Amino acid sequence: MKLTVPYLGHIDIFLNAMARKIGPEFIFPPKTSSRTLLLGTKYSPESACLPFKFILGNFIEALEAGADTIAMITDHGPCRVGMYDVVMQQILKDLGFQFNWIVMDDTRILGDYLLRFNRERKRRGVSFWGSLQAIRFSWKKVRLCESIERMAHKMRPLEVGRGETTRVQTDCLKLIDDAMTLRELNFTYQQCLKKFDGIEKDISKNPIKMLITGEGYMVINPHANQDIERRLGEMGVEVTRTMWFTTQITHALHLDLFNPKSKRKAIKASKPYLRHNLGGECNASIGYPILYKKEGYEGVIQLHPFGCMLEAVAKNILVKVSREYDLPILTFSLSENLSETMIDTRLSAFVDLLQKRRERSKFISSPLVGED
Amino acid sequence: MTLRIGIPRALYYYRYFPFWNAFFETLGFDVVVSRPSHRGLIDEGFKYADDDTCIPMKMAFAHTLNIKDQVDFLFIPRLLSVDVKTCCCPRLAGLPEMLKYSIPGLPTILDPYVDERYRNSTLLRSLSEMASALGKSSKEIKQAYQKGEMAYQLIRKRMEQGEKIPELFEKAGKKNLSSPKNDSEKKIAVVGHPYCLYDPYFNFDFLRILEEAQTSVYTQEMVPKEEIDSEIQGFGKDIYWSSGREILGASLHYLRSKQVDGLIYLTCFSCGVDSMIEPLVRRKVEENGKTLYLCLMIDEHTGPSGVLTRMEAFLETVERRKTNRRMA
Repeated sequence: MKLTVPYLGHIDIFLNAMARKIGPEFIFPPKTSSRTLLLGTKYSPESACLPFKFILGNFIEALEAGADTIAMITDHGPCRVGMYDVVMQQILKDLGFQFNWIVMDDTRILGDYLLRFNRERKRRGVSFWGSLQAIRFSWKKVRLCESIERMAHKMRPLEVGRGETTRVQTDCLKLIDDAMTLRELNFTYQQCLKKFDGIEKDISKNPIKMLITGEGYMVINPHANQDIERRLGEMGVEVTRTMWFTTQITHALHLDLFNPKSKRKAIKASKPYLRHNLGGECNASIGYPILYKKEGYEGVIQLHPFGCMLEAVAKNILVKVSREYDLPILTFSLSENLSETMIDTRLSAFVDLLQKRRERSKFISSPLVGED
Repeated sequence: MTLRIGIPRALYYYRYFPFWNAFFETLGFDVVVSRPSHRGLIDEGFKYADDDTCIPMKMAFAHTLNIKDQVDFLFIPRLLSVDVKTCCCPRLAGLPEMLKYSIPGLPTILDPYVDERYRNSTLLRSLSEMASALGKSSKEIKQAYQKGEMAYQLIRKRMEQGEKIPELFEKAGKKNLSSPKNDSEKKIAVVGHPYCLYDPYFNFDFLRILEEAQTSVYTQEMVPKEEIDSEIQGFGKDIYWSSGREILGASLHYLRSKQVDGLIYLTCFSCGVDSMIEPLVRRKVEENGKTLYLCLMIDEHTGPSGVLTRMEAFLETVERRKTNRRMA
């Protein structure tokens, strides 16, 4: 069985680490490229949303690369991600591919999926304890990857040589992916920290802090949002995003009770603005800006695929949040007609605006200008 | 003075208005419905609407704007789910807040939950919560609820027999569109969301176009619910949108039963439900191969010629195929 899954943050590092210990074999789609999007757009229904097109393109490329089983997540509405698997299966069959289709349904995850996992484990002769260890190891790996990314977010606006952080980040992720044992992993992480320390930086800068929120797939995957984090970082902005691979899992398993920035808390914060929890990331997109405003974040970018059913509601309500919390919010509605120039222009205008706001507020809050 | 309740002539007005109307009138409120859509009304409302949503949503903004000054309360139910194990488009559930934050100076919005997803009896409770806040006794509410239910069932029955909604809702009781007659030349099934099908401004009165072309029109409301439920088996998954279920089930029913010569799917630009259901319908049409199919996507263009041309071409194709078959 050569399994493939849709990209979701560092899911490839997580599953690769697990596969080396307990299987099954994974074939990840080639890195998402313009060909991926082209394929996806060509065979998708025209008004499907952007994640659909990316995922379909990924699957086609993975099947071409030799995968024979596809695992797809699904849910039960109201977002259309729940219908992805029905429509995608049909499209891929029409294209003449042969494949097995596994649906990872959250209601069946405990029964069907764990049984399948257990069977696979036994077949490979891995002990139960060994498989737990493997899961722990992969989890740690992905946690470290995310902390590397967080470091990069902090470092990028301060770097002196442009692009150095990105280079270091790519190296570090590669190193972590290659680590085979827990010891090796810890050692690698220390090495990564040293690498980050080695970046030449300008500490006198006080970068603007910005939050990236919105629809999960667009926020998590750099290929979907045109690497917006790197772009902002190179404009001198420190970014944070609301969604990570690990937070998605901990949220689903209710393990994030003590995290002050959990999705659950964000949903709670959105309550005064949207009475009902609509599902998806809609309520969290409203709540996160409120949570982060209290931490001194100065701007928010909301990302969503064009035509998203849920984020359109959030967008409307964020207008109100923006006014009440005095927090500028920029919404990006992304479709397959992406232009880098468009993104750069809008981002730099937004950053300029935030910079101006900062200067103005300094002026207003301290009337004795010129004292320092 | 009796309180006036405003109901925008948009979205699920085109399905549940008889219920709401009977409910509020029995309780002794005045029901005010916004004017039928026209150019000025829509253009005014679009200024307030967000540009990322679909047109029916924007039309809800326009109609709300139209009645906001004439009423004491606005009735915008929060439609989460209208049937067990299904749900509605999430935009509908966020509509009360979207309106509240986008249009200034709105009267109080009554937004009872309509959530039948897990249990089938929550509607009465949420409606009585709403109405008791307006000072009605529980006996009155129960009575009004039953009246509403009765009115809805009555309309539902008449729709099953082929009457079309806008005419049913007009109090003056205009002449009905032709209900399907067997002697009629062409038989066309139309499917789509009720607010797409029955707002004559939105779809350039395309039901009228069909009628003038001597066609008998079959709608999804004419397919009984059990039939729909049995048709949509076999996708390996429950279709969870109630509107999507209805559209898909009705299309499959008409395709399989070969009752009709053509199938028209009316959709609007950037509709999330249709973007997933339409490919399924299209594929079934291709498999079936006997019925002609037209997917008509309506966006914000204001000229009717695009729709007219495509309709004429479609009807002509249906006509020609019928003649060919008769010749053969």
